[in-house]
Amino acid sequence: MDPLIAPWSEALQAGPGPLTLEWALVLAVAALTGHLVQHFTGLPKLIGYAVVGALAGTVGFAGAAWPLRGVGLYLLELGIAILLFEAGARLSLRWFRHNPMVLVQSLVESTLTFAAAYLALRALGVDLPVARALSMVAVAASPAVLTRVVSDLRASGPVTDRAIALATLNTLYALTLGTAMLRTIARGDTSLVASLASTAAVLGVSLLVGVLLAALLAGAFRLLQPTSQDTAIVILALIGACAAVTSSLGGSAPLATLLAGIVLKQFHPRPWVWPRQLGTASSMLTILMFVLVSSMAAQANWGGAITWAALALLGTRLAAKVVTLLVTGPASSLSLRQSLWVGVAMFPMSAVALLLTSQFVVASPTVGAQVAAIALPVILLTELLGAVLVGGALVHVREAERPSRQRGDLTTDDGGRTP
Amino acid sequence: MSLEAFGPSQPLTLGVELELQLVNTNDYDLTHYADDMLRLMARHKLPGSVVPEMTAGMIEISTGVCGSWQQALAELSQIRDALVQCADKLNIAVVGGGTHPFQQWHQQRIYDRPRFHQLSQLYGYLTKQFTIFGQHVHVGCPDADTALYTLHCMSRYIPHFIALAASSPYVQGQDTAFDSARLNSVFAFPLSGRAPCVLTWDEFGTYFDKMTRTGVVKSMKDFYWDIRPKPEYGTIEVRVFDTPLTVQRAAALAGFVQSLAAWFQNDRPFIPCEDDYLVYSYNRFQACRFGLEAVYVDPASGQHMPLRDHLLATFEQLAPHASALDAGGALALLRAEVQKGRNDARWLRERQAQARLLGEVIRQAALKFRAP
Repeated sequence: MDPLIAPWSEALQAGPGPLTLEWALVLAVAALTGHLVQHFTGLPKLIGYAVVGALAGTVGFAGAAWPLRGVGLYLLELGIAILLFEAGARLSLRWFRHNPMVLVQSLVESTLTFAAAYLALRALGVDLPVARALSMVAVAASPAVLTRVVSDLRASGPVTDRAIALATLNTLYALTLGTAMLRTIARGDTSLVASLASTAAVLGVSLLVGVLLAALLAGAFRLLQPTSQDTAIVILALIGACAAVTSSLGGSAPLATLLAGIVLKQFHPRPWVWPRQLGTASSMLTILMFVLVSSMAAQANWGGAITWAALALLGTRLAAKVVTLLVTGPASSLSLRQSLWVGVAMFPMSAVALLLTSQFVVASPTVGAQVAAIALPVILLTELLGAVLVGGALVHVREAERPSRQRGDLTTDDGGRTP
Repeated sequence: MSLEAFGPSQPLTLGVELELQLVNTNDYDLTHYADDMLRLMARHKLPGSVVPEMTAGMIEISTGVCGSWQQALAELSQIRDALVQCADKLNIAVVGGGTHPFQQWHQQRIYDRPRFHQLSQLYGYLTKQFTIFGQHVHVGCPDADTALYTLHCMSRYIPHFIALAASSPYVQGQDTAFDSARLNSVFAFPLSGRAPCVLTWDEFGTYFDKMTRTGVVKSMKDFYWDIRPKPEYGTIEVRVFDTPLTVQRAAALAGFVQSLAAWFQNDRPFIPCEDDYLVYSYNRFQACRFGLEAVYVDPASGQHMPLRDHLLATFEQLAPHASALDAGGALALLRAEVQKGRNDARWLRERQAQARLLGEVIRQAALKFRAP
């Protein structure tokens, strides 16, 4: 080693290590790039995060080991858990009573996506367990990408709300069935009974943890000011605890927080206010999450057959979502035009898909490696293109201002809008 | 363009328009759902009409021509029920109130209609700040001159209307200390305020011609007066009410306007004159700022008195006219509130004192609006 650098290197080893430094720098560059991307192009910030993540992943900088384990996995789960908690807390069960077609629409959309992806992959000669796992990963749209873009562009309206609701629901299905599927793969018993039992167990444990989390938060809200910094810390810490413990109990942490959000909304009807302080803390985790996702996804191998399978998966997935929306939209009080754009806004798949893929790799290295080979390029493409498509869709339906008109407001904070 | 003829109408008939807020059920901020509400509402067979307003988080409902405040209440209730049903389907809520307590005006979107875009071009940010919600009450007049007479008599009761309807204490997240802060936003428009004190339609036509010659106005629509004649309907239109939190209160206010008009048209109790307007802005300010606790200066005598006392005296005065119109119930409802010193602004402040979260106040206001 160069005698000039050696003492530095030793000093770094004594601290948290060079990897931490690399990650810190990558995060700073990602935040800066996100800001510049929005400032100069009006596109959502997370495109900047994803591009920086993808570059870092490609050149091997800040290389976290694939599949994700340890702190990396925990941070990813925590980031997802926070975003899904927020998404769950937006989902009102009361709505489904007044407009049951939304629930039907969501079930049809997820089933059709699964079926279309499965048939396309089988037609391309992908093995059955791999096709099954990939189709499950394909069901989940990304509430994470949606809520970030919505907050960056300050979008509001029916397409925004419907896309977030449907993405939250299909993430719920994908997490439940996906986690159950990988449990059965890990145990080597893929019979129907085993799958059902496993699904019930995952859902049961996650719901239990979710209800406990919701109860603790509802209790805390009684004592604390809803908008205060203390509330923000309590929320974050409890979600962190939930993320740390749920997997080992046999559930799924993101699923548990998603269910906690839904339960909380149901029994605590006060409007949900994401405290401003939490905005900053969770933004940092979100940036980390997007960078992590794209840096992992960028490690994919782009072989001929894999590229075709990835493109086929992308195409059928988008087609299935758009077709479902067009068919079921009008009965669920969306116009045809809005239905089309909701379908487009469901294109991104991101953190949840990566988490499931990563867990498949851990559960079964042989199946997992094949799943990852196709899933990673799809995740990268949907994350990069997805944010652009979502932004475009929301501007097109006039639920977000055109970027040029927003330019003047960019210096203002985009965190919690409610006082 | 010269002033159109004053159209015929059945005297003392009523029409009520309400501008309402569309809010999401997540943080209860305004949300752009006007198109969707209009699309769903078109499937219901309803009296009156439902139309878009300046920004996409607003919707305006109106009754048809009503003979009594009860008929107005029945029509408003029917429209309200349909609104609630559509809003439930869309997972949003409909709320009354003169302002949205914490919406940010710059985040509002102009509704896609040529007239709204023209106004937005002309008035700039004032248009988006005009995301405020009022109630308009039309009352039928037998002829144009009677309409102007009724209008100027009615001007003396502008503070009464403001204090009774006030429901806009919060603007952009802050307590303004006003009971009706909404009217401050209206005042920013160059053609707001009061109508010129002329008592014949010929004189009014001369004024209108002079104004159109200056190029400042093109039609009656360009005047944002507190009360203005509406020649095509044969009515005068009172425009100072904040949208109340319930349709019951909206209908009761219409009953009050109708009883006053009956008194003026039947008894001709005063001769309006320019000097009546000396105290107009002061009285108007007092009512906006202090609501039912305002001081009222009698334009004729110059005597200062609590507005509440003058309101109660007015209800006494109107009793025979109200009973002839079957509007006694409307006045009784308002009298009870005046005696308790309660208006919607006070209700909103009480809720906020308890909830300490304006979003929660709106959620409760939405529940109040939907209650039959």
